[in-house]
Amino acid sequence: MQQKLLNEAMAGVAGGNDFQWCFSQVKGAIDEDVAEADIISTVEFNYSGDLLATGDKGGRVVIFQHEQESKNRPHLRGEYNVYSTFQSHEPEFDYLKSLEIEEKINKIRWLPQQNAAHFLLSTNDKTIKLWKISERDKRADGYNLKDEDGRLRDPFRITSLRVPVLMPMDLMVEASPRRIFANAHTYHINSISVNSDHETYLSADDLRINLWHLEITDRSFNIVDIKPANMEELTEVITAAECHPHQCNVFVYSSSKGTIRLCDMRAAALCDRHSKFFEEPEDPSSRSFFSEIISSISDVKFSHSGRYMMTRDYLSVKVWDLNMENRPVETYQVHEYLRSKLCSLYENDCIFDKFECCWNGSDSAIMTGSYNNFFRMFDRNTRRDITLEASRESSKPRATLKPRKVSTGGKRKKDEISVDSLDFNKKILHTAWHPKDNVIAVAATNNLYIFQDKIN
Amino acid sequence: MECAFDAQNLISISLRKIQSSRTQRGGIKLHKNLLVTYVLRNARQCYMSKNALQTQRTPPYEDAATVRGRQEYLELTGSFTEFADDFDCNFAGVQSDTWHCGAHQSMAQHMELGHQDASACAMVSPSDSDLMVSEACWSCADKSSWELPISNTQANQKTVLDLDTHVVTTVTNGYFHSDCCAQPKQPQAAAPCYTRKRKMDTSYYIVDPEFYLPDFVPLSCKRMRSEDDDDDDLESDSEQLDSANISNLISVLGSGGLSEFVSWQQMDLEQIFGSQTICSKHTLLAGSGWTRAIEAF
Repeated sequence: MQQKLLNEAMAGVAGGNDFQWCFSQVKGAIDEDVAEADIISTVEFNYSGDLLATGDKGGRVVIFQHEQESKNRPHLRGEYNVYSTFQSHEPEFDYLKSLEIEEKINKIRWLPQQNAAHFLLSTNDKTIKLWKISERDKRADGYNLKDEDGRLRDPFRITSLRVPVLMPMDLMVEASPRRIFANAHTYHINSISVNSDHETYLSADDLRINLWHLEITDRSFNIVDIKPANMEELTEVITAAECHPHQCNVFVYSSSKGTIRLCDMRAAALCDRHSKFFEEPEDPSSRSFFSEIISSISDVKFSHSGRYMMTRDYLSVKVWDLNMENRPVETYQVHEYLRSKLCSLYENDCIFDKFECCWNGSDSAIMTGSYNNFFRMFDRNTRRDITLEASRESSKPRATLKPRKVSTGGKRKKDEISVDSLDFNKKILHTAWHPKDNVIAVAATNNLYIFQDKIN
Repeated sequence: MECAFDAQNLISISLRKIQSSRTQRGGIKLHKNLLVTYVLRNARQCYMSKNALQTQRTPPYEDAATVRGRQEYLELTGSFTEFADDFDCNFAGVQSDTWHCGAHQSMAQHMELGHQDASACAMVSPSDSDLMVSEACWSCADKSSWELPISNTQANQKTVLDLDTHVVTTVTNGYFHSDCCAQPKQPQAAAPCYTRKRKMDTSYYIVDPEFYLPDFVPLSCKRMRSEDDDDDDLESDSEQLDSANISNLISVLGSGGLSEFVSWQQMDLEQIFGSQTICSKHTLLAGSGWTRAIEAF
């Protein structure tokens, strides 16, 4: 009875009433032993939502493509199947500094599609690459100068001429690196963001933000530099940056101090001085050893409308109105029950986990991850929230996801899970929401879960 | 006391994290280490506030025998003090805006010895000049080493830590002599040995990632960075060292040394933090942790 009430209370998040999420697909190995290289490090839908890209710690990019809906089961959306897989980055060694550069893909960002090919940017700690993903489903047959094996024919043996004919072939998807943007970041790149002008993009590391032109690889403009003259004066680093979705002159970057700066590239060549400064005053009563850590912003995302932006810190998600700098307009607690566990989380390094957040297509809901393979959704209109779990146990086709609840009090109710039982090794750091439909992709370690709405 | 114990625990954990970050794949994570130093600062502040009374009760001077008997504790005490102060000074935020660490250095010397500011209390400067540390960190005086004078005036006395012999000596007006109760050393004998070893130490440091790309002066215009920047900067600025950066801070906490800090968790906290004076020649970290680290390079 209580579960039924809970379901009814939780239903309706992201899409109105009678809205429920159900399992669609899961990608990845089922093995208990997870290879570190297979851990997914970024997830991103393209602008149309037809393509879904994932990057992993091994430097690979896997792109899934949305298949058309089946005529037999029109009530279901089509599935995402592997479209292309390629090795984007390899481990490198900086001999000068004796440092190994990880091949882990930190971010993938799609470019708007302008022709038949698809383009995306992928980055590791040091190098950004522009990849072209194109299809080839025809091949030319009947060359005059070379035979079918590709070997050159003796010109003196050619007695007749023929016109090559395009023959169909099995679809081949090719990924080729078109640009490599290297040697511009001394510190670890944490963000890339394509500008709305579709010609430039920015890349951010701990202390600097660079502006690139997609066609030019041998130079970039440094637009933000917060490195102090003396490093001993360093008090904060850049944690995320994003271009405004519509205003190509505006971008924001967040800091480890929990602040967000909005900059206008028209104001000055060097945007060290912000145009707007967003900061919520700290509550002195909640001060602890870890106040600085939990206030560090791990992700910042503009809404699709461009009116709002969302930030994620360790315990909460905040929605900011760009017109109001002194406090967020909405604050959602993701897992407040962890506040009393910060010491343990510091010890096992979980407190340094960088959770991402995302908007749905209409900006009416937001989503972010948590531990125990839980992820949370918040409906901004109804103020309802829901906790769901990405697990193999609930991975039956079209199975409705059951809302989960973490018990914080002493008495644990049935179907609730206690805080101490949470598995902190199962963390959902990366999530993505389809730009138009209610389809979400959730990365749980080495598995990618795809959920969709169940239209009643 | 519970707060003090938690703080001590946190400090130990934090130091361990910084140590392990040096060997992590992908290099030192600036963001994470910055956050760890904030925890260190907070923990230290908490501990200091709880132990303020205890420090006042400690005897101003201890004879050599007593000190030697508790040598191990004192070494770690001194080290903890200086490292905690390093972090406190480095990321004081509220407490101080600039880096001082109590190191008595003139501003003129600041850049030259700047590389060592962050680790001034423990590391040998790669520069040829005397290397230093605030005497307050290792002082035989009765003043608490928690209360580091923040001054830019150059002191006549400087305390020197030789990383190879692990001997702490005090330099007065250019002359080396061991701390109280130990034999004085001649500068001529000590200097050559010191200089030679310093070269080894230099290679031991994890320098700022931009050691080869110094960028001390912020530019006011859009900067164009080309792929050739690396080579040019390396050639022209190889002698410049970025002063007091997190990487150097981390290098202070050498791979072997931190194991000692971890071990003092089991020790009597009252004893350790009660004693603020170090009055004799003492060997820091008798284990070969530091040496191992140097040999690795």
